[in-house]
Amino acid sequence: MVDEAREGLEGELLVPIERDPDVVTARQKGREMAVEAGLSGSDLTLIATAISEVARNILVYAGHGEIILRQLERNGRRGVCVIARDEGPGIQDIPLAMQDGYSTGRSLGLGLPGAKRLMDDFEIVSEVGKGVTVTMMKWRR
Amino acid sequence: MVVPILKQSDVLIASIQAALTDADLLQLRDDLLAKVGQYRSRGVVIDVTALDVMDSFATRTLRSIAEAARLRGARTVIVGIQPEVAITMVQLGLVLGAVSTALDLEEGLELLGALNRKDAPGG
Amino acid sequence: MADDYARAERHLRDVAEYDVERRRRYVDLQPIDIAQIGELREAILNHLDAHVEAFFGYLAQYPEASGLFSRRNLLEDARRLKREHLIAMVGGEYGRPYVEQRVALGALYSKVRLDIRLFLGAFQALSRSIVNQIMALSPGDGPKGFQRSESLMKIVFFDIGIIMDVLIADREQTITLQQEAIRELSTPTLQVRDRLLIMPIIGVLDTHRARQLTEGLLNAIRANRAKVVVMDVTGVATVDSKVANHLLQTIAAAGLMGAEVIVTGLSAEVAQSLVTLGVDLTKLNAVGDLQGGLEEAERLLGYEVVKTRVQVARRPLD
Repeated sequence: MVDEAREGLEGELLVPIERDPDVVTARQKGREMAVEAGLSGSDLTLIATAISEVARNILVYAGHGEIILRQLERNGRRGVCVIARDEGPGIQDIPLAMQDGYSTGRSLGLGLPGAKRLMDDFEIVSEVGKGVTVTMMKWRR
Repeated sequence: MVVPILKQSDVLIASIQAALTDADLLQLRDDLLAKVGQYRSRGVVIDVTALDVMDSFATRTLRSIAEAARLRGARTVIVGIQPEVAITMVQLGLVLGAVSTALDLEEGLELLGALNRKDAPGG
Repeated sequence: MADDYARAERHLRDVAEYDVERRRRYVDLQPIDIAQIGELREAILNHLDAHVEAFFGYLAQYPEASGLFSRRNLLEDARRLKREHLIAMVGGEYGRPYVEQRVALGALYSKVRLDIRLFLGAFQALSRSIVNQIMALSPGDGPKGFQRSESLMKIVFFDIGIIMDVLIADREQTITLQQEAIRELSTPTLQVRDRLLIMPIIGVLDTHRARQLTEGLLNAIRANRAKVVVMDVTGVATVDSKVANHLLQTIAAAGLMGAEVIVTGLSAEVAQSLVTLGVDLTKLNAVGDLQGGLEEAERLLGYEVVKTRVQVARRPLD
């Protein structure tokens, strides 16, 4: 899915996630890019919120990482792709991490499963000791 | 970004002006809970009209403010949740639990009055 | 005219996406074709008026094309664009500017609601006029005339492809706008009294409409400062589990905004759908019918309905 997203790239933006305020920056940039891609209404809030969740996950579990934002175009349909990447400890049991209410950090445990519900496509790849990459997309309706 | 907290008779009003970081939210929690004790407030209104995102952390923090404030004798009402934010919160699976909500500040103050009257002995 | 440009521009973006190069490949336009067309250029330019006339003369026979002929300025635009079209057709350059010209003409046809079948007929008349001339250019050498015609026909089909796309895209746009309008009309929110809204829902609820309903309702709550909403679903026969779930989410979202939703008129079937969802329905405030719902709403808002005694003047029986 990542490669697919790469194909459609039009504009790309990288937001380093190192401190608390970076989470706010990432979701603001994500909203702006979604507007550029022609998304509107509550979809903008959905995207910004999903970014907020994955960005916080980076801070809490890996300490630092990055959010990459891309515009997409596939079969004439536009959208945005959000990639959250870190080189932290990784996730041992992904299905468990994707369960509502499961959390080892300071959260409600709704971060990842919640973000998945807000977006159209969601994929998570992790190798223990090497980090986590979350790729998610939202398409214009 | 410090959230200003206003005292209006026995109610505290915190009106969030812009996007908040997690640290700002925790600061707001500590400030509010300290002031509830200091002023012996009976109600807290948190105005989130300016928030364009209410994610799981923000929701959890607001909920914990409300719960802790209640233990210290004050009711909390969250006002100004925007339509898009409300939809997102519901889809994310977030619930405010026992926390009351109202449309705006005016409604929130009215609701607080009603809640406190109900709580009052003999009322 | 500004409106035309906006339309043309919109199409242009769509056309550009397909990319001109691919269009040329689809009609198998080769350098040899462009060379052959080059040989025809002068002759065809000398007969421009006759060819333009073949196109418009065909259309003039049909009352269905009156949309074009009754608007003098548009007709003049069309004639001018058609003339430019023919010049470009034998110009040898079939890149983006050429496509842009075609799109502009297509937008004009669309504006006058030119029937696609009539357009094809007129274009056929135009091609025949050109092919006749080509054949006359090489008397006694049929194969040569045929080859040249074949090359030119590739451009003809290249052009038709673009015009079709414009006409179809316009039609789709119209349909989308109409659907949008119908949807908006189909879920009105009515203020019955201060702070109280009624939202009657009638017809089939699909995911798209349910989503629209959510946004409409939440925005109406904010705009009218509503505290209670009576959502009447008497007119909804069935809902699937996805839509049922969506309705519950809408009610929860309204709650976050400080408004209580009372659902009335749940049919047996819809009630079943909600139950089988397996979600917590204890917070769902449901009342049998609209009248009951309004009474409940008034109670929540603190109104009391008092029946005033009706005085009936009786005439003494005498």
